[in-house]
Amino acid sequence: MRENARKPAPCMARHQTAEQGGCPPGGTHSASYPPGASFGGGAYMRRITAVSALAFRAALRTRTVLALLVLLALVVLALPHVIRGDGTPEGALQIRLVYTLTLSFGILCLVTLWAACSLFSAEIDSARIELTVVKPVTPAQLWYGKWLALVALDALMILLVYGGVYAQLRWTIHRGNWSEAQRPASRFVTHPQLPSVQEEARQVYQQWAAEKKLPPKLSKADVLRELANKAPDRYSIISPGERVSWRFAPRRAVRAGDPVQVRMRLDTEFSTSEAVSGRYLLSCTDEGGHTVETAWRDFTQKAIEFTVDSRQLTAATNAPLRNFELVFEHTGDEKVSSAIMTRFRKDVCLLTPGGSFEANLARSALIELGVLAALAALGLTLSACLSLPVAAFTGTLLLLLFVVSDSINTVTIAEERKNIGNRIGYWVSEYVNRAVAFTSQTDPIGALADGERIGDADLFRTMVGNYLVLPALFCFGGAWILRRRELAENSK
Amino acid sequence: MTTDTVIEIRALRKVFRDFWRRPTVVAVDNLNLTVHRGEVFGLLGPNGSGKSTTIKMLLGLLYPTSGEINLLGAAPTDTAVKARIGYLPELSHLHPFLTPRETLGYYASLFGIPSREAKRRTEQLLRMVDLEAAADRPVGMFSKGMARRVGLAQALINRPELLILDEPTSGLDPIGTREVKDLIRLLAKGGVSILTTSHLLADTEDICDRVAILDRGVLQSEGKIADLLRQPDAVRFQIAGLDEAAAAELRRKLESETGRLVKQDYPALSLESYFLQVVSKGRRADVERFELAPFLLEREEPPHA
Repeated sequence: MRENARKPAPCMARHQTAEQGGCPPGGTHSASYPPGASFGGGAYMRRITAVSALAFRAALRTRTVLALLVLLALVVLALPHVIRGDGTPEGALQIRLVYTLTLSFGILCLVTLWAACSLFSAEIDSARIELTVVKPVTPAQLWYGKWLALVALDALMILLVYGGVYAQLRWTIHRGNWSEAQRPASRFVTHPQLPSVQEEARQVYQQWAAEKKLPPKLSKADVLRELANKAPDRYSIISPGERVSWRFAPRRAVRAGDPVQVRMRLDTEFSTSEAVSGRYLLSCTDEGGHTVETAWRDFTQKAIEFTVDSRQLTAATNAPLRNFELVFEHTGDEKVSSAIMTRFRKDVCLLTPGGSFEANLARSALIELGVLAALAALGLTLSACLSLPVAAFTGTLLLLLFVVSDSINTVTIAEERKNIGNRIGYWVSEYVNRAVAFTSQTDPIGALADGERIGDADLFRTMVGNYLVLPALFCFGGAWILRRRELAENSK
Repeated sequence: MTTDTVIEIRALRKVFRDFWRRPTVVAVDNLNLTVHRGEVFGLLGPNGSGKSTTIKMLLGLLYPTSGEINLLGAAPTDTAVKARIGYLPELSHLHPFLTPRETLGYYASLFGIPSREAKRRTEQLLRMVDLEAAADRPVGMFSKGMARRVGLAQALINRPELLILDEPTSGLDPIGTREVKDLIRLLAKGGVSILTTSHLLADTEDICDRVAILDRGVLQSEGKIADLLRQPDAVRFQIAGLDEAAAAELRRKLESETGRLVKQDYPALSLESYFLQVVSKGRRADVERFELAPFLLEREEPPHA
């Protein structure tokens, strides 16, 4: 271990004033290093570990946190037995994955946020922080120690929740003797190759302009921006007799023998949907590729999913399949059958094998832990500058805003923003949404329930954004506040 | 600042402000102080005189409105300087769910002291403050005096060069008070500089080399205790074993020789000394048990693992 390794430097021998705050710029010190303390890398980690261990115990002793953890245990253990499914394996999967995990995650968000909000503020209020900050520990070390404690607590809770849900799922599969097709899976999702959202916005704009349907009092830029924003959610209509085709190029080639699944989510007018019928033609467009036709009559469901053996799609044995085309033809009678509405960018996709369900579960857990880590960072920084009730209130308000900001942005149309109040609300939610967009771009629980493999890019983005960038930014802010703030009891 | 100076305060001023930044109270005004190496310095004053505010500015817990503080050759916020200081606050502010052993281990970790060395120091300090038997009970269950002992032990875990003690004897019984005073004296002998505040003037008189008296934030008096309390126009003799008649005779002779009034009295024990005498009859070993933790006397830091 490096002992007393830093060189002494000249000292300005002047302490900063309250107005100046912090250490004076250029202020160096002539202090020699003491016999009682170490400054090496090991000592640095020892400080962070000590702060972390104490914060872990302090967080667990918070009554609100304990109450929420009891609630969490009840949700994981009791919820699947309280909510009755429709008796199908899909229903059981929905309850165990979607309901249990979503509710548990919501509780964990509150546990994390409120525990984080209490860690600094409670210490400052009780003046316990005085004994800590007079020791050779920097505000950043304090902040990181506490953050690591919260992440460790969250990791433990996530492990227990996911472990509990997985164990229940295994038991249900075993008891229900589910077939291979019914068991939860992990599949790569490939969406069709479509023009960019900007290109699509331009096409729609030109079409509206030609039809003189452009909204009044809005500039071209506003209309294009609005169209681009809403392009992923834009429904296309497939009328009876109409034929639509999409091309797919999965990032990983499909091995011969692997199942290729087609999924199409749709909306129809329910009362007439029984009269809808359609025909799917799935082809491999590689050399030697074949076409497989699947007729479908049951459009009463909101999602159609069918599987094709990849060996039927190619003449070549063992050759990987890289390019596909899907054609859908609405074969319903024009007089009685209703049109089908679907979002091409979201609702139509090819599903190909993508690893084990267990690995996908672990990815989902990591992504959720990442969101909790970002929340912990937010709560800690709030608690460094506000008292416990104010920090908890502000944190919860921000959390709610994060949750609803996406919906506000999606449902608000340009004309509604002419009112000043609406404009401010939209502006706030838009910027909140943009600020947190990269923290929650994926819906891991939805992906698990749909059997979609959580992408490596999403995982990487979470790891970098939620575990590194956001905590580093919040740590910088929290440490800056702690350095400038007077932490003594009689400063209040 | 010379190498012999551990604390130098120049024109220090602290004004507390309200939410709107309006000044509410001048807690310290134009304070100038110097504390030398190896000295026990007492900061005295009534409640609200600015003692604790001064100490908190020294520790970087409060920022001065103006003025300069030089602590061991650097600013109080310097991390390296913090490693050389021990601090005992007026209220112990310990984590109630930690035991004394865990508390000392925690603060040792904040100093970056390796765990083996930290354990050694912890055990010695627990023995020194007589908390070995209660070492594994949560601090939250302790009396104020016991918590004070833990606070004192944590202030010494880093073998400090400068010890800042805010009301060190507050909450202690007379035996504890005596032990703390002995400890302060022993530490000072070992070269540790000590700045202490106290409301108990008798305690301060027993342990301090120099004192400063603050009132309403302003320094009223400063100097060596002996100089401040000395009455240069009077001389006092103390003779053991003189009966009353011989004492009266001696007094008459002195008065006739000097032509001045001679005051005669019988010296009494202080209440503290009397109490300790009474209590120590039954448990002499306890009162005299007190000794420094050996690591505090070590000259060289043992090599860290």
